[in-house]
This record gives sequence, C-alpha cells and structure tokens, in this order.
Amino acid sequence: MFLEQLLNGLTLGSTYALIALGYTMVYGIVQLINFAHGEVYMIGAFVGLFLVTVLGVNIIAALAGAMLFCMLVGMLIERVAYRPLRGKSSRLSALISAIGVSIFLQTLLALLAGTNTRAYPSVINSQTYNLGFAEVSLLQIIILVFSALLMIGLQIMIHKTRIGKAMRASSQDLDASYLMGINVNRVISFTFAIGSALAAAGGVMVGIYYNAVWPYMGMMAGLKAFAAAVLGGIGSIPGAMIGGLTLGVLEIMGVAYLTSSYKDAIAFGILILVLLIRPQGLMGKKITKKV
Amino acid sequence: MKGRGRARWAVVLSLVLMVAMVAGCGGSNSGESDDVIKLGFLGALTGDVANYGIPAEKGMKMAIDEINAQGGVLGKQLVGIYEDNKGDSTEIANIAQKYITRDKVVALVGDPCTGLTKVAADIAQKNQVVIFSGGATGAGVVEIGDYVFRNTMLDTVAVPVVVDWMIKEKQWTKFAIITSLNNGYSTALTPIFEQEIKSQGGTIVISETINDKETDFSAQITKLKGVGADVLVFTGYYTEAALIMKEAQKQGVDIPMVGGDGLYGQDLVKLGGDAVEEKVFLYCGFAADQPSEQTAKFVENYRKLYNEEPDMFSAQYYDAVMILAQAMENANSTDPKVFKDQIANLKDYPGVSGNTTIRADREPIKSPVFLVTVKDGVFPSLVTKIPVNVE
Repeated sequence: MFLEQLLNGLTLGSTYALIALGYTMVYGIVQLINFAHGEVYMIGAFVGLFLVTVLGVNIIAALAGAMLFCMLVGMLIERVAYRPLRGKSSRLSALISAIGVSIFLQTLLALLAGTNTRAYPSVINSQTYNLGFAEVSLLQIIILVFSALLMIGLQIMIHKTRIGKAMRASSQDLDASYLMGINVNRVISFTFAIGSALAAAGGVMVGIYYNAVWPYMGMMAGLKAFAAAVLGGIGSIPGAMIGGLTLGVLEIMGVAYLTSSYKDAIAFGILILVLLIRPQGLMGKKITKKV
Repeated sequence: MKGRGRARWAVVLSLVLMVAMVAGCGGSNSGESDDVIKLGFLGALTGDVANYGIPAEKGMKMAIDEINAQGGVLGKQLVGIYEDNKGDSTEIANIAQKYITRDKVVALVGDPCTGLTKVAADIAQKNQVVIFSGGATGAGVVEIGDYVFRNTMLDTVAVPVVVDWMIKEKQWTKFAIITSLNNGYSTALTPIFEQEIKSQGGTIVISETINDKETDFSAQITKLKGVGADVLVFTGYYTEAALIMKEAQKQGVDIPMVGGDGLYGQDLVKLGGDAVEEKVFLYCGFAADQPSEQTAKFVENYRKLYNEEPDMFSAQYYDAVMILAQAMENANSTDPKVFKDQIANLKDYPGVSGNTTIRADREPIKSPVFLVTVKDGVFPSLVTKIPVNVE
C-alpha cells in the first residue's frame, strides 16, 4: 500500500517536475517568472490530443509533434511578449506581460476547443503488473521512465554541449556573456524552446494518464509546478526535479495518510514552511548581493 | 491644474455615459412588452455543466414552439430569451437581473444546478417574478420564497428508494462514499446518502473527498483497495465520476458506482469509455426507454426536431414551460403574483418526465424513480423503474 502510494506520488511528481524545469531555466537566465508556462503545457496536451484523434498518428509521433509545436509557441511568446520589454522596462512589466499571455492563451483555447473536458482515446492499454510488493500500471512505468530520460537528456545537454555552456554562462551573468560574444538572445530563445518542449511532454502524458484535457488545466498545474520550482530552489535544475517529485509525493501521502480534504493546503503549506526555514529552496544557492 | 481639469472631464463623461445607459435601457423595453409573454432561460451552454444546459435549452424551445403553434397563451405568443450563464454564479446573477429589468420576463426557467438556482431565486423572489427550475435537486431551493418552484426528482425522495435497491436487490451492504468538497450539490447529497445507508442497515467503510476539476484520484482509489467496499457512492458530477472510474480501472479496482443525476451527461461515456460500462448507476426523473404515452410522443417529436435522443433536462424544461403556460391559462393572467398560486396547486400533472405533484411545502414529488446506466456505450440505458409513494 505504501509503495503503491509512493508510485502514485512519483508519477504525479514527475509531471510537476517537467513543468517546473521550464520555470526554473527561464528564471535562471532572465530572472523572469514565465506565468504563461502552464498554458504551454496545456497547449501541448491539446496538440497531442489533436494529433491522436484528428490525424490518427501514434502516441510517440503525437508526443514529438506536441513538443515541436510548443517549442515554436515558447519561442514566439518570448519574441512577442518578453523580448521587446527586456532591458527597456522593469522586470515587473515582463511579469504583467506574462500574466497577459497566460490569460490570452487560456481564452484562445476556450474559444477554439470549447471549455468541456476532453479525453485521450485509450492509446495505451491499462495493464497492471503485480511486482509482489506493489501493483504498478504500464502507464505509470512509461511516464516515470520517459520523464527520467528527458531529465537525463537535459542534464547532458546543459553540461556537455556548446549551447549548454552558453546557457550556463548566461545564467551566471547575462551582460558579461554578451560581452564575451555569446548571442544571448539566441540562448534565451533556446531556453524557452527547451522548457516549452518539456512542458508539452508533461501535458501529453498527463492527458493520457488522467484522461482530462481542458483549457484551464494549465493554471493549477502551473502554480503547483512553480511551487515545486521554488521548493527546489528557483534557478536550480536539479532543484526543480527534486522539488517536483517531493511535491507530488507529499500531496499523495497527505491524501493517503492524513485527509483528502487538505490536499492543496498540505502542498502549499509545506512550500511556505520550506521558504521560512530555507528561503533559497532545497537545492538553491544562497546569493549575497554585492552593494 | 492639469490634473483637476482631467478629473472634471471624467465626471462629466461618466454622467453622459450614465444618462445614455439609462436612456438605452428605457428604450429597449418599452412598447412591445405587452404583446408577447417572455420567459428567460437559465443554463450553461458552454463550460463544465453545459451537458445539462444544452439539452435543457432544446426542450424549452420545443415547448415554446408547440404552444405558439396552438395559438400561444391567452392569445399571446411566448418568447424565450436565451443567454449562456457558463455555470458561473456571477454570470447567472447578471443574466437573471437583465431578464427581469431589461426584458420584463414573467418567469425564469432554470437553472439545472442547485447552487446557481439559489442565486437566481433570490433575485426572482425580490422582484416578484416566478422561477421554475428544471434540474435543481438539492436542499434549500423552494424555501427561498413563494415565487420559487422546481420540477425535478428530489434527492430526499429518490435516495431512500435507491439505497433500498442497493441493499435488497443488489445485496451491497458495505459502502464507500466520495464527496466533492467544492461542489455544493455533492456536499448536500452526501449526508442524505449517509443517513439513509445507516437507517437501512448498511455500513460506510470509507469516506473520501475530492475537488471538482482535480484529475489525480490515484491516492483515493489506492485507499479503496484494502477496505472491501461493495459499491462506491459518488455524489458529484459526471466529469469527475468518469475520471474516478478510469483511475479505478487503471488500478484494477472492480467496483460499481452509484450516484445522483449529477452524473447525468453524455460526457460520462465520452470520458469514461469502457470504464463506466454497466458500472455506473444513477437515479433520475426521466428515461426515454419504455416511455408512457405522453413521453413517447415527446421523444418522437424531439428526435424529429433535433435528430438526437432527449434527456432528463430537455424533458424537465419542456414540462416546466408547459406547466407555466397551463398556470397562466388557468389563472387567466400573465402576472406572476397571480399565476404562481396555480403552480403551487399542481396535482398529478402528467408530464413527459413523469407525474408531478407540488406538495403543500411547494416541493415537487415525482414518480417513478428511474435507475439508468451505460450499456453498449449508450447512455442513458434503463435498469429499472421504481414507483414512489406520493404522500
């Protein structure tokens, strides 16, 4: 029973982690909370649904299609809503712009797709395996494995490639990186693309796993993922992964052993507690501002 | 100086706008209001509860057209006014207010949801306009005042019948209950089930909660595994019902679900698929299967008109309009103050959604209770009809 609940928690948590990565990478480089990120996740779920139901492609192709499409969406959002404001006005303006984009995308999808909840067709059969100590469903295994692969891939990209190096440099000091000849606009654009692709993967997997896709699904998921990013230490990539998994497990354990009435209260209560004790988050570095 | 000048301009401008608005309102409702009788539709045409509102609107339109084809009410034509309240309590308050002040309706027809009906009922009662809900089943609706009526299968009438069916007919004695905390319908229905299960000798082995719009129910279902419940009573709406059953199927938990007419919606099948097939049972006041004579005629005409099956909401809204028309005819008046008494005295009205009697406390008693399920992907499919003792 405990192990099954733990698996439930890890599955939920890995979807939070995938979204949280987008928040944390963007924050790490441009210190912007991209509040439209939850909507990118929602659009990913819709694009995947469209590809599966209307074009009839298989689930792997739908996942790839949704990730590609959302890369473009992410880059477009950055180009249209954030880049024109960068450097010219305060960070607060960019934040307001982000909230605007978020509301725009929600209502756009509500107009295009309607506000009813939609379901993915049964693309993967709902098999369960008895491992002796716990029952685990095929879908859970797929989500856990695929999320893990994406996160490992992300780590390799950041630490072993040129663009990864440029991203790390930009996150340390944007201006200095620019002076050193790094095309920071391209780096920022790329960061949005990668974050959006991960969110889209999360969206498609959640759509399949929980069978529910609707235009406002990004709001709560985005908030939870943001909380996970802060919990792990915003700006830290391993932090976002650990924060997401922790939040998912805590939520499920709260329902399992305390009461289901306080699911969200438990999640956000822990967030507040961590921030009081460790303001920089679980994995974040303490920053001392030089005056 | 500059700031002050601007402020003065703003005052002048807002005054001009206000005058324009008042004039506009006055202009639109003068003249024609005496030639026709207006009824305002309450229901969601988009959003989470659109599955209730869309068929309701069709039933109302059909009733109005049939009445008008036969010469209308007291020689006047009926006109329905339809706006989408999106299942939102702020929207419904605005719309109810607009229907009453702008359109001068004599009655509001709706809403399908209890919580929303209460919001509109407060406004209708204050303005002395009749409100007639074709869907609100929860407590505390007609208590709002003497202009408030409804024509639905009440939970307090149906639940004892359904619990009796579960315990005696199905031999289900161990109950799990799931309540949706942010759903007023659900939090009101759960105590009715709890009380009835206890008084009929059943035991509640586990009581869990969820919230509407959540999608992760894995922890709740895993908890269900160990407790050995025969049946899961879920008191919320169809979207969450379908998702809960999907989760149960995913985890290999084989348990039937029983609920109220909140589970009534085609999305139950669309979202639930084979996970709800002959697994979800719900009670309601209408089924197109094995119809009575007047219901058969309604079903046939509805199919011809809309090329689909009527459901409970279309039938109850149809009946609501018919009862309102009959009340106005009998009272020989379109004044809500006068014809409301005719509705209060309704006895054994042979509607298309069963027989309706309005009791002395203005609550409707309908018979029979229909139990329906999903069979071969078709919803609703009749399981059984259970008659209700009216007294």
